[in-house]
Amino acid sequence: MKKLLTILLLVLAFTGVSAQDCLLEKAPVPDLVQDYAGILSEGEEQALRQALIAFNDTVSNEILIVTVTDLCGYDKAKFTYTLGEKWGVGKKGKDNGIVIMVKPKEIDGRGDAFIATGRGLEGVLPDAIAKRIIENEMIPYFKQRDYYSGISSAAATAMEITAGEYSADEYVQPKLSLKKFMPFIFGIIAFIFIMSMKVGQTRRYASSNGLGFWAAWSLMSAASRSHSGSYGNFSSGGGSFGGFGGGSFGGGGAGGSW
Amino acid sequence: MDKKKMIKYGIIGGILLLFIFSIFGSYNTMVELDENSTTQWANVESSYQRRADLIPNLVNTVKGYAAHEKETLTEVMNARAKATSINIDASKLDAAAIQKFQAAQSGISGALGKLMMVSERYPDLKANQNFLELQAQLEGTENRINVERNKFNEIVGAFNKKIKKLPGKLYNMLFGFEERARFESKEGSDVAPTVEF
Repeated sequence: MKKLLTILLLVLAFTGVSAQDCLLEKAPVPDLVQDYAGILSEGEEQALRQALIAFNDTVSNEILIVTVTDLCGYDKAKFTYTLGEKWGVGKKGKDNGIVIMVKPKEIDGRGDAFIATGRGLEGVLPDAIAKRIIENEMIPYFKQRDYYSGISSAAATAMEITAGEYSADEYVQPKLSLKKFMPFIFGIIAFIFIMSMKVGQTRRYASSNGLGFWAAWSLMSAASRSHSGSYGNFSSGGGSFGGFGGGSFGGGGAGGSW
Repeated sequence: MDKKKMIKYGIIGGILLLFIFSIFGSYNTMVELDENSTTQWANVESSYQRRADLIPNLVNTVKGYAAHEKETLTEVMNARAKATSINIDASKLDAAAIQKFQAAQSGISGALGKLMMVSERYPDLKANQNFLELQAQLEGTENRINVERNKFNEIVGAFNKKIKKLPGKLYNMLFGFEERARFESKEGSDVAPTVEF
């Protein structure tokens, strides 16, 4: 009963946004993460956005993540590649765009996901691989309603493959997946970085005030607690996305449903 | 020659010049669209070819699990052989030629649709990674075919409009471009088989 009620509530919540006009009729929105279905939190969106912007800046491939409530009457494939073509995701001439589309299951009882590859990326990210990403990285999470994990791991895999970090073949037969350890490594690096900064500050503080190291440490940490709010500013740094470059889509890609 | 006459000739000459430029412009657009549609035809053909290239692999995979579906498998191979044997001269793309091409290709679509339906009955086949990937590739080629066909129709449509609307219609009396044929989507005959489970 309780489950039924939550489903009902979810459906109601989604019908609020399902008034979304057909996305294909709209002018391109210059943003790499567009969550029209409202399945990502603000922080999750921001994290994905920063990763995709950084990727676009370094590798120049444009990856658009879009969640929708309505496919404009098309099937998931046609909707996704038409969106990519119309909005011109990818650079002109290079056609190096990817559109990752997710329509959550809560809207009409059928979840749809599709990865459309621009003409220029069909070679590095063939349909069969796109299919694997959908089936292995996305749908298992989506079935548990963990949309963020599915989307982010699909985006991470697509980035790794199209950046040439490893080929599609290596994705199929992974040797030692470094990807799984990445969060750890990031965490450790961040920890070391922050600690060394703090230790350096404390040393300076200690020597300039004639205090012992640990005394200075405890004093400083007490002081930093009062203005810890400013830490939030850390995440807001990062570049911005200038707009899609006019890439073309020829119908490549694969999708799945759950 | 007095001044009045000079102005008169000047005006007539100017109008004539504008007229000639307009003819040139029209002609160039027509040639361009005509060439583009020929190029696009090549893209259409290669997207169909891509599908034909997948078939032997697909048939072999299915054979391993569903050997006694021989009839369906031969049907697919025959349809493929028939379609690939058709040679269309891109410079003579009339309605009959396109129809012939389309008929042969829809033979493949039909046979593939049947094969996919049959494969439903074999759980082992459906779970086979190779089969799943071929299926994804097949879906992808169907999408590519649709994209290229639509684009072909768009270009041909633009060309036909150019030679049928004024002033192009008048100029075309000089050039003699003929209307180009498009893909007709007949009900059911060339609808891509839905290979979705």
